[in-house]
Amino acid sequence: MIKLDKVVKSYKIDEETTFYALKESSVEIKDKEFVSIIGPSGSGKSTLMHLIGLLDKPTSGEIIVQDKKISKLNDDQISSLRNEFIGFVFQQFNLIPKLTVLENILLPAFYARKKLEYDPREKALGLIKRFGIQGKENSYPNKISGGQQQRVAILRALIMEPKMILADEPTGNLDSKTGTEIMEMLKTLNEDEKITIAIVTHEVDIAKYGKRIIHVKDGRVV
Amino acid sequence: MTYFFFIIKSALEDFRRSKMQTFLTSLGILIGVFAVVTLTAMGLGLKKYISDQFDALGTNTLFVAPGKLLESGGFGASSLLGNRFDLKDFNRLKRVRSITAITPLSSKSGTAKGSKKSEFVTMFFSSEAFFNISGFDIDKGRLFEKRDVGKRAKVVVAGPKIAEKLFGSIGEAIDKKVTIDGVTFTIVGVIKSKGGGGFGGPDYDSYFFGPYTTGFIFDPDKKFIRFAMKTDENLPIATVKEEVKSEMLKRYKEDQFSIIEPTEILSVVNGIFGILNLVLVAIASISLLVGGIGIMNIMYVTVSDKTKEVGIRRAIGARKNDILFQFIVEAVALSILGGALGLGLAYIGILIVQPYFPAYMDVTSVALALGVSTLIGVVFGVLPARKAANLEPVEAIRYE
Repeated sequence: MIKLDKVVKSYKIDEETTFYALKESSVEIKDKEFVSIIGPSGSGKSTLMHLIGLLDKPTSGEIIVQDKKISKLNDDQISSLRNEFIGFVFQQFNLIPKLTVLENILLPAFYARKKLEYDPREKALGLIKRFGIQGKENSYPNKISGGQQQRVAILRALIMEPKMILADEPTGNLDSKTGTEIMEMLKTLNEDEKITIAIVTHEVDIAKYGKRIIHVKDGRVV
Repeated sequence: MTYFFFIIKSALEDFRRSKMQTFLTSLGILIGVFAVVTLTAMGLGLKKYISDQFDALGTNTLFVAPGKLLESGGFGASSLLGNRFDLKDFNRLKRVRSITAITPLSSKSGTAKGSKKSEFVTMFFSSEAFFNISGFDIDKGRLFEKRDVGKRAKVVVAGPKIAEKLFGSIGEAIDKKVTIDGVTFTIVGVIKSKGGGGFGGPDYDSYFFGPYTTGFIFDPDKKFIRFAMKTDENLPIATVKEEVKSEMLKRYKEDQFSIIEPTEILSVVNGIFGILNLVLVAIASISLLVGGIGIMNIMYVTVSDKTKEVGIRRAIGARKNDILFQFIVEAVALSILGGALGLGLAYIGILIVQPYFPAYMDVTSVALALGVSTLIGVVFGVLPARKAANLEPVEAIRYE
């Protein structure tokens, strides 16, 4: 469903030096897969994740999403792909503090350009109930626990019924018990909802949730 | 629509969270709008006041005053100068056929004694035609009539303000005696309020009006300060003016009298106030400009404060235009907030000065104030908003 073909990401530091965040790498993530990308910090796994998530563009090489070449799409089209195709989950939760839990979950739906076949509000309330954060709908993110915030972030990722959830160190800011709960939640989504999951982590225990593990080291997929 | 409401709500939530900063930012616009609206209201009010004074006279009215009016500067000054008119002039002008009504005018100031108290007053002496020419209507009782003029009746018509002062109420004053500088008059009627007064203009509401023949009691020379006349509506006013002029030239030199057409003065007044208003608005606009720059400055700060938020929004699918719109809405909300507060403050200010000054707020200045503040929000919000929209998603989301 998403393919990185000989992708390179580099930054020019000055006239002579170029820093390679990601050396030529090819990665493919298949439909309904659960993939873990593991590597130490500074290995280039975040860069890889930003490229897969269409947040960043490669210096060279091509990203292909559902047979569409990203280099041929304009910024609005890429935004729409991020909106409809991918759900993001971050290490620092990245909820918007001034919006309530419900508003945060609904946020992607406000930016949707396609007509949704369901009422996002009803869907959000259904998800809130299903994942055990009912009663917190109108709370602000700073009034709920870290584990709850990460749940909200996952629900935000789910509101547009994406094909893929991309999680960057989703347990990094949580204790191990809560971390396990979050990972179980992602596992359920993969198994029951057939949503493709890609997680980026440096913890082997977390990476084990993946049915396939991609190792990144020194800016290279190994 | 939900999208729009959501963006507004989210901007207002920001303001709620930083009330002081929001208030201070919108202060510039507040002061600007307050200044523009108040100054325009005063300019407009003054202009309307003066226009009303002349409008009441109608379009086909002429005055003949002694001296050169425009050179000697105003009615008051000219009436003190040079020769004053007499009955002979009155009779001559009465013969001018294009004049349909004419009254001589003389005035007298003195102390009037009523039942409640005494007051220093001005009296106007004229013919019965005066009320029609000047557009005065009776409220209680009657106006004085031709027969009162004929028999030099000691009757007066009072302005409503002075009637109330001297006798407690308008109704009380009717048929009462008032003694002005030792001469006792009967008040036969009270006119409807003409408003005005208070800053240099004649306050007719505090005047007494009597027959000119009776006025000779105070002036054995039987002189008049000016004539007021209605002209034939079917003739161009310039023609009538020429006829009056040739009649006056039989007795006087050209520089000894002036023929004044109120509409002429009105157009001069309108011209002056047009320029005055423009100058006031231009000065006040500077504070709007400064306010706009204040908004732009704070919007740049906001954009950098919200870099992370922009990154998050972009990651979940917001387009550049969504971000652009969000920040413009925020800037516009800020400036409209300032505009609305300024407008409210101006309204209160105008209510406060209204008893002393004919300030007058019209729909145009309200619309203009809100329109201008919206425009300022857009103009000064667009650059910071573009900066926000053009942030690279990946860099914005990494921003701490």
